[in-house]
Amino acid sequence: MADRMRVVGKSLARVDAPGKVSGTAIYAADFALPGMLCGKVLRSTLPHARITRLDVTRAAALPGVRAVITAADVPDVRYGGGLKDETAFAKDKVRYMGQPVAAVAAATPEAAEAALAAIDVVYEPLPAVLDLEAALAPGAPLIHEAWESYTAIPILHREGNVCNRARIVAGDVERGFEEADRVFEHRFRTGMVHQGYTEPRAAVASWDSSGQVTVWSNTQLPFEVQNTLAEILQMPPSKIRVVVPGVGGGFGGKLRVGVEHFAAFLARKSGRPVRVATTSEEELTAAYPRQGSIVELKTGVTKDGRITAKAGRIWLDTGAFAGSGPGVASVATLVLAGPYKIPNLYLEGFAVYTNKTNCGSFRAPSGPQANFAVESQMDIIADALDLDPLEFRLRNIVREGDEGPTGQVLNGVGLEECLLKATAAIGWKDRRPGPGRGKGLACGWWTTTGGSSGVYVKINPDGTVALNTGAAEIGTAAITGAAQVLAEELGIDLTDISVVAADTFSTPFDFGAQGSRTAFAVGNACLAAAADLKRQIFALAAGQLGVEPDALTLADKHVAADGKRLSLADVARLSQQTGGGLIAHGTFIAPPTPYDTKRVEGHVYPAFHSPSFHAHAVDLSVDPQTGEVTIHKYVVAQDVGFAINPTYIEGQIEGGVAQGLGQTLSEEIIYEGGRVLNPNLTDYKMPTTLDVPRVESILVQHPSLVGPHGAKGVGEPPNIEPPAAVANAVAAATGVRITSLPITAEKIALGLVDARAGGA
Amino acid sequence: MRVRVRVNGEWREADPWEGTSLLSMLRDELGLPGSKNACEQGECGSCSVWLDGELVCSCLVLAAQADDRDVRTVEGLAGDGGLHPVQEAFLEAGAVQCGFCTPGLIVAVTDLLAQDPSPSEAMVREALSGNLCRCTGYQKILDAVRLAAERMAPR
Repeated sequence: MADRMRVVGKSLARVDAPGKVSGTAIYAADFALPGMLCGKVLRSTLPHARITRLDVTRAAALPGVRAVITAADVPDVRYGGGLKDETAFAKDKVRYMGQPVAAVAAATPEAAEAALAAIDVVYEPLPAVLDLEAALAPGAPLIHEAWESYTAIPILHREGNVCNRARIVAGDVERGFEEADRVFEHRFRTGMVHQGYTEPRAAVASWDSSGQVTVWSNTQLPFEVQNTLAEILQMPPSKIRVVVPGVGGGFGGKLRVGVEHFAAFLARKSGRPVRVATTSEEELTAAYPRQGSIVELKTGVTKDGRITAKAGRIWLDTGAFAGSGPGVASVATLVLAGPYKIPNLYLEGFAVYTNKTNCGSFRAPSGPQANFAVESQMDIIADALDLDPLEFRLRNIVREGDEGPTGQVLNGVGLEECLLKATAAIGWKDRRPGPGRGKGLACGWWTTTGGSSGVYVKINPDGTVALNTGAAEIGTAAITGAAQVLAEELGIDLTDISVVAADTFSTPFDFGAQGSRTAFAVGNACLAAAADLKRQIFALAAGQLGVEPDALTLADKHVAADGKRLSLADVARLSQQTGGGLIAHGTFIAPPTPYDTKRVEGHVYPAFHSPSFHAHAVDLSVDPQTGEVTIHKYVVAQDVGFAINPTYIEGQIEGGVAQGLGQTLSEEIIYEGGRVLNPNLTDYKMPTTLDVPRVESILVQHPSLVGPHGAKGVGEPPNIEPPAAVANAVAAATGVRITSLPITAEKIALGLVDARAGGA
Repeated sequence: MRVRVRVNGEWREADPWEGTSLLSMLRDELGLPGSKNACEQGECGSCSVWLDGELVCSCLVLAAQADDRDVRTVEGLAGDGGLHPVQEAFLEAGAVQCGFCTPGLIVAVTDLLAQDPSPSEAMVREALSGNLCRCTGYQKILDAVRLAAERMAPR
């Protein structure tokens, strides 16, 4: 089929590339208005404390300072997604070091800094809850004393410092353990990590005389930000316009309101446009990073390597507010099940409050944490059973038509092919090619998030096309992919399409650039719009050409039948003269994925829609003295359903692996006593060109039943398996099993010392 | 404080505060937002420009230090509407995702190829190790460097 395609399936250059390479593309952090002020935020200097005094009089009187605001100046509301526990500013007490206490707007950054320094705030320290164990201990201080009074969706199971417990129960796990020949129990731990988007979070807000505020933001979810701002500002959403000029990376870190509300409040108070942008320090102390976690797994297997039962629990350190925690805890249980056929399951995910920054969503939320545990344990078990890790997986993986953990029926399952191709490419038969060298394997599954998308597609009088989408382009080229789908249908070139920036005022609704859904959902909305446009085009052209509409075809920018043809431009002009122009509203909503409701509890994400499957294999060496890891080769075989644009899918895989390797080997936001020890990019070590190997991407294509041309979500998955693949390769190379992330050289070196001592 | 600086071949004047960086002056006073303000700590390379022909992180250079000197930014690379070969190569190799690190990388790659028209991959990796990119995993950037080097090689 792809052979007959002109645009989809081709590695064409992205539609926004010229502006990006020339430096003319404007991002939210570049956006400026005349008279704009600089806004800055005063943040808590203690992890848990009562505010006993907060006086801004001196700050407000400083030269150049135009506005100072605190909790006293804003509506007294708690907001949030499924659980409303957050406030714009700390009120009465602070719950993490970095929590906003006040904000200022001034003519220059220097004046704003001076104003922050002049705010008089006095704290009375409270006992802080600094990690998961402390938060869960009997008698632990409550981070939210009034948690029971908070508004929450009823599905959540909350208790004290636990802001959700999600559960999957299938079969009878105790009976499953009885049927097992051996039962394995392990515990894993992972660190908190930051998305590391290059562009800091930034927003510019400006109010007009009608009382409408416009916010230019680099959010991934303009419509959610619009609604959240409506809640925070206590205004109707129609009075709030969110525009996304350009986004310098998001990876889930720009889903929620971050600085937009401060810009809006400060702009209202000062009567001037205000920009608020974060610093690197604010990013690493007060953003929405990936939750650190503890995972416990108990798995029963028969002698011949069939898994009979699995009990698993993951505790996610969600910080001082729930943020994405309750949802991520739910998703985690599906990852804990793994892409395996296991008849008996008892899986729980807990989102737990601590006195740390509010964690959020980071590319495949919970994926790397839970998969690290699952796939590490798969190798441990395979070793214990004296089975090849590939063979052990092949005996247990899901295949076409199998049931997922909550009873969903799985279609388009390309996992076996992924495992076989990844291992073939890495040279799996020779798993330990030399001293200190080893190969590791990990596999997994992930979702293509649902939600609805709408597009307006307009045909210009020159035959080119304007694509209006409310989905933000965050860098993935997903909008380019959707535009390729549109171009194919309309018989035009990709370069004929221009894309309008997401704007809640004028572009149709979109559920947002999250969950690997954008190309999938916007692509499908484009198909719907194209079908409508073709009807309009054929009706007009049929009259003009004197043929039946059914006889017409649309190709090569012309509509034709019986040897007669009319250009798309002619039809568009004709429509402008007679019918208001060619425009269509295409929409898409992913159909629900049926599952067994009796198997889940407290669960906000009970099934993976159009699931993707993937296998990673790595060949690496470990320095016997320093423990330093050198990666020789990294292979990803990913079932993408259908590759709309192979180049940018490879880009997702290469980038996702690099980001995954950072979380695996070097990255961690390190807390001590409630304070982040490494709030800068020198000490928070993201991979550079010297750290990242070349990645071989193998695109496996088992079509989704729903996606455009069978495509599945591709953006998040490559970030899931690197920790487990590397941990398994390190174990193969050295015999040292590291059960916590990051797998630093220090941990490996200490493991080697222990191994030598144990062996002596 | 008056600063007179030659930017992309044109003498410009600005009046920044004494503590202003070259980056802020370029972006906020001279209307050149192509050099990006990302980490402001000299760690990410997104603000890379040439100062008297030398590659610098403009966030670490004071505006005053650029007085009476020559600055070249990413905006000065394309000529008469056409892209520079390094820009073309980034576009064609799929080396651009979010694009926020791209201007700094294009400046750094152009600088590298001016010094060494056919660098080995190891040398490219060394030369670009001060430019953080979180989207691409660098692979297609390395491909773009090779493509640009081939195109720019004297025939």
